[in-house]
Amino acid sequence: MIDFHTHPVLIREFVDKYPNYERMARRVFDIGNNFQPLETFFLQMDVAGIERAVLLPIDCRRARKDAVSSNEQVAELCRLSKRFIGFASVDPLKKGAPRELESAVKKLGLKGLKLDPALQDFRVNHRKVFPVYEAAAGLGIPLLVHTGMSWAPETPLERGHPLHLEEPIRQFPKLNFVLAHFGWPWVWEATALALKYPNVYLDTSCLYYDSPKEFFQFVFSKQIPTTLIERSLRNKIVFGSNYPRVEIKNMVQALKTLALTEGCLNKILRENAERLLGLGPEK
Amino acid sequence: MIIKLERVKLQTRKSEEAIDITAKVDEIVKKTGVKNGLVNVLTSHTSSGLLVTEGIPCLEEDILTHFSRLFPEDEDYHHRRYLDYDGRLGFNADAHLKSVIGGISCTLPIENGKIVRGSRQTIYFMEYDGPLERTYLVQVLGE
Repeated sequence: MIDFHTHPVLIREFVDKYPNYERMARRVFDIGNNFQPLETFFLQMDVAGIERAVLLPIDCRRARKDAVSSNEQVAELCRLSKRFIGFASVDPLKKGAPRELESAVKKLGLKGLKLDPALQDFRVNHRKVFPVYEAAAGLGIPLLVHTGMSWAPETPLERGHPLHLEEPIRQFPKLNFVLAHFGWPWVWEATALALKYPNVYLDTSCLYYDSPKEFFQFVFSKQIPTTLIERSLRNKIVFGSNYPRVEIKNMVQALKTLALTEGCLNKILRENAERLLGLGPEK
Repeated sequence: MIIKLERVKLQTRKSEEAIDITAKVDEIVKKTGVKNGLVNVLTSHTSSGLLVTEGIPCLEEDILTHFSRLFPEDEDYHHRRYLDYDGRLGFNADAHLKSVIGGISCTLPIENGKIVRGSRQTIYFMEYDGPLERTYLVQVLGE
């Protein structure tokens, strides 16, 4: 199984090594949990049955002073374990961002692009951002973009509205857009995009109140029908936990409480991610 | 009067487990050189526990199973909300309640440099919300 949405923000080994790492976790990513040795990350994956995890940085240096993990830090973690799949992040309004992305992919070996319009303070449909989409499409990597509500302080809610992405989605049909957090609370809008456009995917990392099981039961059976996932979106959803904002095991358990067939769960938990990332099963 | 405090890190490996820490506590007491006094052991977390019971696997399993029966994961807890000071949701109320009911510390006497405990008594660190790296405290007071 693959977790498509994790943030390496509480790695104990990085606290001493990188002076701004602690400030980033507390003040930018806004998480209060204790820092943990890297071993805990692997154990959290193990108890959840997750074999590989996508690590996401966010280059929000212009807007927030520090990045939420850098491309180099993500690449460093990926060199330590094949269980990690690293994504890159660039500031799309920065001059040279497309070249920076190309370098992160070709030199650091990163496999995708992560953008967060709220934390990075940009508009996803601004023309200045399009060269980054073009570069990602040219590199053949997927884009995981934050949609929906952001917990990060001082971030406008509206920036995460999924429909802002419609123009880029149309302009760049060769770029696969993965809409994080299922676009919550704009679940229908995110769903409609995934239904309409072949290059739109959704990740399951949505949890904004109650427990993971309660939230999933509501969103994926009452907000939208479970049958819509089973019948129409089974090839368009990837599992994401948003660890460490939530433990991976809780999100896997929550997903498995839904009335989905084993075949559909396999696609969400593994096959769709493998296809997006161009990966084969781990040997 | 000697008062010494040691912080011990422990990597737990499962969602829930009972970990025998008796030998480690014995070792710390011996190291302090205290001959007569008290040792207090406590966890520094609110979703783990510290307790003393007979050190056999069936009881370890029974404690965890029946704590889970008392506080099921899927019960209706008020803790399931966004905790702004943590930047995440609280959905581990069951772990907190197990910690409350099972206790977070134990105190045992020291005599002639050794912990006095019954032949069946074993000191356990109880993980209710792992796997995590945890810290427990061992404070030795005496002469």
